[in-house]
Amino acid sequence: MRTLILRRARAQWPLLAAVLAVVTIGATLLGVCALLVTRTSDRALEVAASRAVPKDTAVTAYTVTIARGDVASVDADTRSVLREAVTPFGSTMAGRMSTEMRPIEAGPQAARRLAYLSGVENLPDRATLVTGRWPRPGAGEAVLLERTARALGVQPGARVRLGKELVRDPAPGLTVTVVGVARAGAGGGWDRDPLEGAGYVPDYRDGSQLTAEAFGPFLMDYRDLLTGGSAVSRLEITAQPDLSVSSPATLDRLRLGVRDADGRLSAVLGERVQIERIASRLPSVLAATARQQRVTSSAVIAVAVLGAVLTAAALRLAGRLTADVRAAESALLSAAGTSRLQMAGLAGAESALLALLAVAVAAPLSSLAHAALTHLPPLTAAGLTADPAVSGAQLLAVVAGAALLFLPTPARSGLARSGADLALVVLAGGAWFSARSEDADARLDLVRMLVPALALAAGCVIALRLAPPVLRAADRWTSRARGLALPLAMSEAARRPRAIAAGLLVTLGCAAATFAVAFDATWHRSQLDQANLAIGSDLVLTLGAPASAGQGDEVARATGGRARPAADRGVSIGQWLGAGDNPPRLVAVRGPAEAPGVPVTKNAALTVTGRATGGHQLSATPQLVLEDAAGLRTACTAPAVPLDGRPHRLPECVPVDGMRLVAVMLPVVAEGFDYDSDRTSRITVDLSVPGGDGWAATSAEPYSGQLTAPAVTAYGSSLRMTADVALGGPPDAARRLVATAFADPGPVPATVSELLARQLSVGPGDQVQMMAGLTAVPIRIERIVTTVPAAPGAAAISTDLDTLSRALLVRGEPQFPIDAWWVTGATDASATAGLHLGDIRTRTGEAARLTTGPVPAALPGSLRLLVPAALLLLLAGLILHVTCDLQARAVEVARLRGLGMTRREIRTTLLGQHTIVLLPLLVAGAAVGAAATWLVSPLLVRSETGGVPVPTVAPVWPWAAESVLLALLLAAASLAVASVVVVQSRRADAAHLRVAS
Amino acid sequence: MTALVSVRGVHRRFGSGPSTVHALRGVSFDVEAGSMVALVGRSGSGKTTLLNVVGGLDRPDEGSVVVDGDEVTGLGEDGLSRLRREKVSYVFQTFGLIPVLSAAENVGAPLRLARTPAADREKRVALLLELVGLSGHAAQRPGEMSGGQQQRVAIARALAASPRLLIADEPTGQLDAETGRSVMALLRAVVESEGVTALVSTHDPVMMALADRVIRISDGQVDA
Repeated sequence: MRTLILRRARAQWPLLAAVLAVVTIGATLLGVCALLVTRTSDRALEVAASRAVPKDTAVTAYTVTIARGDVASVDADTRSVLREAVTPFGSTMAGRMSTEMRPIEAGPQAARRLAYLSGVENLPDRATLVTGRWPRPGAGEAVLLERTARALGVQPGARVRLGKELVRDPAPGLTVTVVGVARAGAGGGWDRDPLEGAGYVPDYRDGSQLTAEAFGPFLMDYRDLLTGGSAVSRLEITAQPDLSVSSPATLDRLRLGVRDADGRLSAVLGERVQIERIASRLPSVLAATARQQRVTSSAVIAVAVLGAVLTAAALRLAGRLTADVRAAESALLSAAGTSRLQMAGLAGAESALLALLAVAVAAPLSSLAHAALTHLPPLTAAGLTADPAVSGAQLLAVVAGAALLFLPTPARSGLARSGADLALVVLAGGAWFSARSEDADARLDLVRMLVPALALAAGCVIALRLAPPVLRAADRWTSRARGLALPLAMSEAARRPRAIAAGLLVTLGCAAATFAVAFDATWHRSQLDQANLAIGSDLVLTLGAPASAGQGDEVARATGGRARPAADRGVSIGQWLGAGDNPPRLVAVRGPAEAPGVPVTKNAALTVTGRATGGHQLSATPQLVLEDAAGLRTACTAPAVPLDGRPHRLPECVPVDGMRLVAVMLPVVAEGFDYDSDRTSRITVDLSVPGGDGWAATSAEPYSGQLTAPAVTAYGSSLRMTADVALGGPPDAARRLVATAFADPGPVPATVSELLARQLSVGPGDQVQMMAGLTAVPIRIERIVTTVPAAPGAAAISTDLDTLSRALLVRGEPQFPIDAWWVTGATDASATAGLHLGDIRTRTGEAARLTTGPVPAALPGSLRLLVPAALLLLLAGLILHVTCDLQARAVEVARLRGLGMTRREIRTTLLGQHTIVLLPLLVAGAAVGAAATWLVSPLLVRSETGGVPVPTVAPVWPWAAESVLLALLLAAASLAVASVVVVQSRRADAAHLRVAS
Repeated sequence: MTALVSVRGVHRRFGSGPSTVHALRGVSFDVEAGSMVALVGRSGSGKTTLLNVVGGLDRPDEGSVVVDGDEVTGLGEDGLSRLRREKVSYVFQTFGLIPVLSAAENVGAPLRLARTPAADREKRVALLLELVGLSGHAAQRPGEMSGGQQQRVAIARALAASPRLLIADEPTGQLDAETGRSVMALLRAVVESEGVTALVSTHDPVMMALADRVIRISDGQVDA
């Protein structure tokens, strides 16, 4: 047997070499895909972890209300728990704490002026020193924020006496020396400061009924506060693990460690704190990355399955051709008494030998191909460059690919006659319908892995069913020609049963290649669409600290674009807080509406003069709302002003040019409200800005009855506001006069997403109440849309920010709902980072993250591998087919010469015959590829979370790339066929006739 | 009568060195126009090689072959093709029909090569099929016909372009004796009716009897 195998191999080496090439290509493709879903996928996780932004990997422990004797131990134990949670990774830690409130022991209103101390590690990284110096340890020194220093009227060198803490078992009073003034930096965590980094709040409530002016923080050395004996109201410690070197196992351990840390912290701290919690986005970020990894792996496996099917088709053809070539030999062996079992053993031994050779070649080849692939975009840009290496999964895949050699060659009757093609179409249809489900479970992932291969194979067998009648029709048509070459070529193509033996491989190869190119384009387009929809504008700057006047111009200058204020936050609609942990999202951006209000010059010296009738001691805390040129509205709160008939200078509220006063709010308080009193006092407050038309006044909710007859008028060069203030009733009830440069806009027109409309059971024309903070705003639904821009797939509501802000102002809410700057036409995104205002996301950056990020990069990589693999398999199969066909017909070709055909005519006939078959098969393959792109690619493209992408996937057929591909394919196939035909026609001489005769 | 075919001192060797096979060793003979000559010899005697050389399918190493005034050994590829298309036609032992074409299409193939108008072609094909007694089998493909029928179609095809010389290489070699005889009779009849010269290699004594002349060849040489 060994002799027979070796001698036959020597005689038929070109045939066996072609079979070996086919199986090697297939096994190599599978090996590379295995490396992509194992080695590259693992590496992608590591790279994604190392590239994660700090806020995504930070682990923060929050503790609330710590007795003064426990602060140091709570700090140490919390750090220990965090250190254990992020094991085995090293980490850096930073703490921040704020003490309980203390009264400021100075001035006539000492009892209502509160302050607190804070310790912030790495303070110079979180704030910028404006003047003075940072505090020294152990010296009782503090730095104030600019606003605090201004509100207190202190400068470096001043000493401030703080009384004992306003808690049970208070720490004694202390004197603090102010040594510097600092400016809060974006991203410095100031939003978690008791006053949210405002520095001063005129109406601070510490949980009691009474309000007070609050100042702070007094920023002291962190270690001083740990041991200084002050009770701490809140302590937070953030651990930042170093993920520069990781592995899937260590990342999983980290995820579990962080997940379980909350319980450990609670157990360790016990009764020493009132509330403790560990918060981190890390587990959800890692889980999201793992989901994205699964999505990518599914798509890569789908590519591998397609490659395997293509290889199987090529081997099926090779098997048939081999059987044809060996038909006589098999008959001879059979006649000589060789049993079927012996024949099968012979074939099996030969296949095993070929499979071993294929594995021996494909294993290192797939390692090299994988390494080469990782050195090409997008994998190289994703940081996934790898050296050649061999893995167990890769070897398994290579062996599986080589094992395709053992697939039985189907009966000569073919797919069509056996009805297997129709069964395949039914199966593909069923899989397609299943894959349309929007679920992202493992079973559907499996279906999605199979759908491309099934759909393409089904499309190809349908096309092959159509090929014979089309060829027969063409045969009838060309038989009218006068010459011999064309009709003979057509007859050979249409009437020879083996003429389209390579049809399945050619069609499938072309379909797979064109589909891969189109799917790549569709996937990229979808990622861009998702990025464009997810990011509201070309550049979105999410603010890490309250916006300040003039900031929009600053952003616009830095980016070279146009900045508009925008809101993007969770809200509640009536009683609806959202499904699960996802509150309805409010997305609002400032439109191009004309700015209302009264122009105010930069650094204008504004004064307030107020009077109250009846000799009552009333005071008001003026809040001016000003709008800058970019449409940002900022509230400037002045210290309380007694309504004593004298003019009082307000602090500088107009820091930049081009501002307009759009609203004034006057919360009015009395020295001592008498709950049972029924007296009122008429107040008149003049603000030294010229009034204008269209101003309106109202009394803010709730308890608007406590302030009646509100009015606003232009009075000389001032804006005069009047109202009657009830001196009885609840002391803490709002007595707030609101004057606005516009009338109440009424219900705010809004667009809502289908999901939110479904959740709320509302439609166009309906009116709902949206809670923006503590203020309820009426919303009228104008339109329902599939998805709200910047909130893809979310239950979201979209309004005009200007109208929303007007509605809020009219209801007494001075804060402008800004969360971000949306910049259109940004030319330099990097310059924005230098402003240190917050997180920056750009559409191009998001698109790059989604397309060339470490986790998704393997998908385009595998598609780019599929295209050459499909072409090589197609060409190998085609050459094999043409060679065998011409060898089998060598005598026939020689007889054509005997008829008087020249070599050129014979070449024309043979080329024509194969081209006539090849062209429609390639066209059919491209058509199947296009159909699969439309039908299948929307099912395969998923969002990074594994869900259906928003917006809906739009299939893309890249005409230019496909045309180039088809031209290349046609050229390569024609060249291959022509080469074989030329060689074979040259051999068609008398020798063949002599043998035959 | 004038010689249509003149073969002079033709040598043909295959291979090189010690394993060289001398298929033809200085073969010389003439074939008169309109005659039917039988080429007789044992297997391996050089009959087929000689026919290939005469028909221009093979080139001799030495010697000359003249067919109807054309020096075959001096013709290039195109000249040889033209010779086979216009003056020489073949009938092979294995019939040599194109499997995918019907009987009529096979017979019409040389006429297509000559770019004969379709109407003339169809008329000529019908005439030839009638001549070989296969009018009712025009649409059948070779695989659907018996060996004898296939050889009749091959003869009709060989006559289609009205050649001057018809070369038949053991035309009855694959046929039973009775069918072979009928084919031989047909060949003799069409030689006479079409006025064509025929050079036929055969082992068949009947054919030898039907021939005008018999040339015997052994070990690549013509027996005197």
